[in-house]
Amino acid sequence: MSASLEQSFVTQLKENQNIIHKICRLYTSDGDAHKDLFQEITIQLWKAFPKFRGESKFSTWAYRVALNTAITLYRKSTRSVKTVEYEKHSFFISQEDYNSDEEEQIKLMYKAVYQLNDIEKALIFMYLEDKDYTEISETLGITEVNARVKMNRIKGKLKKILNP
Amino acid sequence: MMEELDLLKKDWKKNENSFEQISEVDIYRMLHKKSSSIVKWILVISVLEVLLWTCISLCFNSDDYLKKNHSEHLIEYFRYLTLFNYAVIAVFIYLFYKNYASISTTTSTKKLMGAILRTRKTVQFYVWYNLGMMAISMIIGFILAFNIDPEVHKVIENQKVFIITVLICFFSLVIFLVLFWLFYRLIYGVLMRRLLNNYKELKKIDL
Repeated sequence: MSASLEQSFVTQLKENQNIIHKICRLYTSDGDAHKDLFQEITIQLWKAFPKFRGESKFSTWAYRVALNTAITLYRKSTRSVKTVEYEKHSFFISQEDYNSDEEEQIKLMYKAVYQLNDIEKALIFMYLEDKDYTEISETLGITEVNARVKMNRIKGKLKKILNP
Repeated sequence: MMEELDLLKKDWKKNENSFEQISEVDIYRMLHKKSSSIVKWILVISVLEVLLWTCISLCFNSDDYLKKNHSEHLIEYFRYLTLFNYAVIAVFIYLFYKNYASISTTTSTKKLMGAILRTRKTVQFYVWYNLGMMAISMIIGFILAFNIDPEVHKVIENQKVFIITVLICFFSLVIFLVLFWLFYRLIYGVLMRRLLNNYKELKKIDL
């Protein structure tokens, strides 16, 4: 019974690990930090797992716990993610299929996103994951209206960063 | 702005599966890492402790004292005792290592909980053995001093002085043991408590 609980956690986490990887991509700036955050999120998910009763999908639940962990940790750390470190992320951009203009634009966008704060990153993350406002508000524990307002502000902020 | 965000989303989706995948074994390892790092510390501290004792025993060699008092025949016994002691401690260190290895590689909570309990028990035995050995070697030391040291002989000829000396020896033995017991509690106690907390945490998850 107990062993099967752990087994089921590990299996589901493995299947959904890309969610965590993607969060790590937004919140960390290098491979080691990525691994650390991944591990921390895994431990937090495991600790919270007994409370996960399967009322929602594992992935939905994982989004919530993982994002909250990233936000909390990011707050504690000395906001070390600087724009310069963005260069390390250039591996995100795949080489083929982009004309250089587009590529340049994407680079700039990533750079701008890295300058957002913890909560704003979470919202952008949910947006990139194609989540609607209902899901965003549930995951982040804010109202739907608040989520919309925040999202608009973020768009404004990004615009400002891109066209100073 | 929307255009740029869409572009970003397109790229984001494209790279969705570009992450190095983590295996189930890796995940198990992450879940058990806390315990394994504590057990690693127990291993490291026990090795350091042995090194410390070895250094101390090199500085205070009892052979000269025995030679001075014409009891060379005892040197061999002491050597056996020391060898025996090192052998037992080597076994303990091996057990610590085995516990560490089993905790850092185990893939089930049940086994991990078993390994944590085993480690705690090993540490307890280790502390009791060390305290026992200390008491025995101190008692042997006192008895020898009474029997072979002519200077001590002279002093304790008087019965009153003899009783007082024995009492002093006894109390210093007790104080010494209590001090070491506290020392062990301080060092290993902290680690043991953390290990117990992990155990409780696992048990909660493991309903």
